[in-house]
Amino acid sequence: MNIPKPILEIKNLQVSYGTIKALKGVSLYIEEGEIVSVIGSNGAGKSTLMQTIMGMIPRDSGEIFLKDEPLARRSYQVINQGITLTPEGRQVFAPLTVYENLMIGAFSRKDRNKIEEDLNWVFSLFPILKERYKQFAGTLSGGEQQMLAIARSLMSRPKVLLLDEPSLGLAPILIKIIFKELKRINAEGVTILLVEQNARQALKLSNRGYVLQTGEIILQGDSQELLANPDVEAAYLGTLRKRL
Amino acid sequence: MDILLQQIINGLSLGSVYALIAVGYSLVYSVLMFSNFAHGGFLVIGGYICYFALNSMGTGILIAGFLSLLGAGVAAVVTEKVAYQPIRENTNNTLYLLIASMGMSIVIENIFVVTIGGRFRALPAIIPTQPVHLFGLATTSAFDLISLLAAGVFLGILQIILVKTKWGLAIRAAAYNLRIAGLMGVNVNLLISITFFIAGTLAAVGGIFLAVRYTLYPQLGAITIKAFVAAVIGGLGSLPGAVVGSIILGLAEMLTAGFISSQLRDLVVFFFLVITLLVRPQGLFGKNISEKV
Repeated sequence: MNIPKPILEIKNLQVSYGTIKALKGVSLYIEEGEIVSVIGSNGAGKSTLMQTIMGMIPRDSGEIFLKDEPLARRSYQVINQGITLTPEGRQVFAPLTVYENLMIGAFSRKDRNKIEEDLNWVFSLFPILKERYKQFAGTLSGGEQQMLAIARSLMSRPKVLLLDEPSLGLAPILIKIIFKELKRINAEGVTILLVEQNARQALKLSNRGYVLQTGEIILQGDSQELLANPDVEAAYLGTLRKRL
Repeated sequence: MDILLQQIINGLSLGSVYALIAVGYSLVYSVLMFSNFAHGGFLVIGGYICYFALNSMGTGILIAGFLSLLGAGVAAVVTEKVAYQPIRENTNNTLYLLIASMGMSIVIENIFVVTIGGRFRALPAIIPTQPVHLFGLATTSAFDLISLLAAGVFLGILQIILVKTKWGLAIRAAAYNLRIAGLMGVNVNLLISITFFIAGTLAAVGGIFLAVRYTLYPQLGAITIKAFVAAVIGGLGSLPGAVVGSIILGLAEMLTAGFISSQLRDLVVFFFLVITLLVRPQGLFGKNISEKV
């Protein structure tokens, strides 16, 4: 049997803020073409995990490999290696236009002639951005800003796309649209690591999941299993469904 | 009437020199969010390089000017690498950067006092100062027109860099959020170096014109305080604001000097600062964008 090799592998990652340990030895892997979600509550260390992968926060110890190559420690090098992050809270450049936001997303690229192609690709994923491409990003609605943030990340043609809470503060209908597009992005060859508080949506989308709690992975498995796991259900999914 | 016109041209000329200094200063502020008080040092470095290139090396003004811009740009980059980068990498508190910049300002000033002395030096007559008659309406000096033109050219070049180039886009993105610009694959340290280089070269252009206008001495950098006031009036971090604020200040200074008393000109400058801070603290073009949540 052909066992797929992990595209991204994190081994025993430890990160601290001063004396506070934010990640206490996190290990996880993502295979090429997968969608993997990391769920957990506030303060579990989800964003820290993402920012550490991106080199925005220094690691105390642990190793990260991208296709068996050790991952660089500076953000711009990480992006050159093929990982990009759509940060929590969207963080689009409000005073720049939609078009400029997308172009800054393509900053690291050497193949300038292919940028046009990818611009059309992200416009096909999120047609609303094409309509608004001359508008300042700050004037977009929350959902449109999230679409722009994802599209901006895709402009670097990443092998692995990291998403930090893409559903944050969005109406359920918008979450549905965005998650549908994530599925499509994945189908077009982008491996996705998703971090979410919205556990149900994340697990429904992903192939596998990890549960992060106070800096440690306490559970992992197929998303379907996690969805059915009574502990996960009680802690992260809510039990409202059972009353029906 | 012709006196008024003359003072307006003088004011625009002085304001345009302030603008060169204020824009560089504002550019650094917008990216790193601190007031770089060593900015005045860059213009003094530019002025002295120009002076020595003209006097000791006997080069023409174009080569002297080029060396001056290059030297001040490099000095600005080195200042950032030596004094600011170690602080940036260890803390997010920009107050330390502010204090370091005050230190660097003193260091640069005293390097000149110690090595070449504090006396006033006049640049050779490199920029023509003969009177020019403007369509019979007013008489002004060629120097004022040239400095206005030079400032316009350099600010125009900056605008083109910011709008048309990849790094210009990165600088505009970083001015909004440096951290997220880093997430886009921008090498943040290189971006900051480029920003300082631009600020240094613009300061040098301002330095050469100020040196011609007022003579050259190690404390000439103190005039940056006026560019700083101009930047605050225009809105800190806003480049159009820095230009407009500088023009307002230049005009206010020259009109005060022409019609009231030249001793009151500085008073007017700081009067404008106080009024701005009272009435519109974010400045004329200050960013107060409320982003949709």
